[in-house]
Amino acid sequence: MKSWLFPILQTAVVVILLISYYAASWFGEQYVLRAEPYDPFDPFYGEYVLLQYPDLISTTVTDDDSVYFTLKKSTDGYAVIDRLETEPFFGAIEGSVFGGSVTAPQLEQFYVEQGLGPDLESTRNLQVTIDVSSWGTIRPVDLRERSE
Amino acid sequence: MDTEQKLKQWQQAGLLEQETAERILEFEKHQPTPKKLPLLLMIGLVFLSLAIFSFVAANWQAIPDLAKVLLMLALMWLFYTIAQFSEKKAFGSPLLFRVIGLAMFGAALLTAAQTFHFPLANSVLPWAMFLATLAHYFYWRHLIYSFIGFFFGALVLLSFMPDIGWLEWIIFIAVAVAWFYFSKELAPVAFSWILLFASGFMLWGLVDYDSVLWPIWTLFVLVLLFLIVPETKQRIIRPLYLIAAGMLLVVYLAIRGQTFIALVDKSQLGEAIVLAIAGIGVLLLSFFKFRSLMWVAVPGVIGLLLFDETAIGLAVVAELSALAYLIIAQRQNESLGLGFVYFIVVQFVIYIIYAWERLDMSVFFLIGALLLFLLSAIAWWINRRKEGATP
Repeated sequence: MKSWLFPILQTAVVVILLISYYAASWFGEQYVLRAEPYDPFDPFYGEYVLLQYPDLISTTVTDDDSVYFTLKKSTDGYAVIDRLETEPFFGAIEGSVFGGSVTAPQLEQFYVEQGLGPDLESTRNLQVTIDVSSWGTIRPVDLRERSE
Repeated sequence: MDTEQKLKQWQQAGLLEQETAERILEFEKHQPTPKKLPLLLMIGLVFLSLAIFSFVAANWQAIPDLAKVLLMLALMWLFYTIAQFSEKKAFGSPLLFRVIGLAMFGAALLTAAQTFHFPLANSVLPWAMFLATLAHYFYWRHLIYSFIGFFFGALVLLSFMPDIGWLEWIIFIAVAVAWFYFSKELAPVAFSWILLFASGFMLWGLVDYDSVLWPIWTLFVLVLLFLIVPETKQRIIRPLYLIAAGMLLVVYLAIRGQTFIALVDKSQLGEAIVLAIAGIGVLLLSFFKFRSLMWVAVPGVIGLLLFDETAIGLAVVAELSALAYLIIAQRQNESLGLGFVYFIVVQFVIYIIYAWERLDMSVFFLIGALLLFLLSAIAWWINRRKEGATP
């Protein structure tokens, strides 16, 4: 009977993984980010859009492999950086800064339905909706053309 | 019937008594005939599964996110269940079904990663597969799980880069050591050893101090494993140490001889001296505990010899160790294959380093190398004959 433990534990791993991502929506806040695409495609994972974020800018740190930041809603409705540190603090998203632009691994790419990649890439103005949990994990929810 | 004919033959040749032959026939008659699936049913099943797969693939985008993952999990359960029944009822191959079940677990993780936008720079997926495969290995002890485990162990190591943390590195080493310690066959022992050796390369990312000697340090630390394993296992892993030591010598020789960049700076002389002392330590330890491993101490001199820009010191050490190994192995009637390959590789590397750009000299080296090959081939041949091998 012990051999049944394998599928049971493996199912548990997948379920925990899923819960950890849904938890960002249950116990977090939703932000909408202004985004711009560049370069898509990965042979293993399929089509995705690589994104950069014009609003996520750091003036204090310009280049760093690991920075920690939180977001806040600005007056126009899109999210901007609230607090950015080089040391971890509770609720922070772990990311990196390159040339003053802030990003996080989960924000950099967004998998899209096969065939949608080129369309989204040609659209310069995009917006990404994400849920951020109170302990700093991100769940990307939606990627679409910006309506402004 | 085939058995009947065979029995008749054996009976005629006087190998079997009439009575025994009859008893065997009687026994065979009562054996259940193997049940075969009708061919048409098999073809039908293949087509049905193809149809299901293409139907799912065609509608993949329309399936809700969560359902995609659940579908993969359902497939995983299906194959584990089939495996369980095939083991109980003795049909098909339970191993194959379990491997497919494991693959479906990987597929479920991958699907979850894609549909829920997990970051790529994340080691959760390879870790989950690595641990799951090792659990399979320890429960069923089948060779195939050690191959899969090695593959995902290597993926875990690769996923560490570029940002690697001490905690994750230590956990990985603990898992690999456990795998090494609790396995007995060659494949899992060798695979876990290679993973341990490769995890030493991660020190380049972990430590701020930029040393070129981490692989040698790793090999020396791995010598400690010899202290905790029984003698039968020592015999299995000894070639791994010798191969690694030989490869290190050749690689450092090739790099030092071929590149003109500053590999080492003067400030690293201290480390080179400490490495040489550690080499002496390894030499002493292996001299008193396990003499066959003494060769592993040779790379200890590499640190000091890297300061010599002509790489002649390294070439001499490589050449002498190759010759000495061959001679000693020949005297002790050990197999020469490994030493012979090392010897040839050393000749090639030295030849490329020192004779490549000097054509006039290269003819001399070519003739010398050919002569050496001939001589060593003769020595090898004589040794094989001495061991009693037929040509």
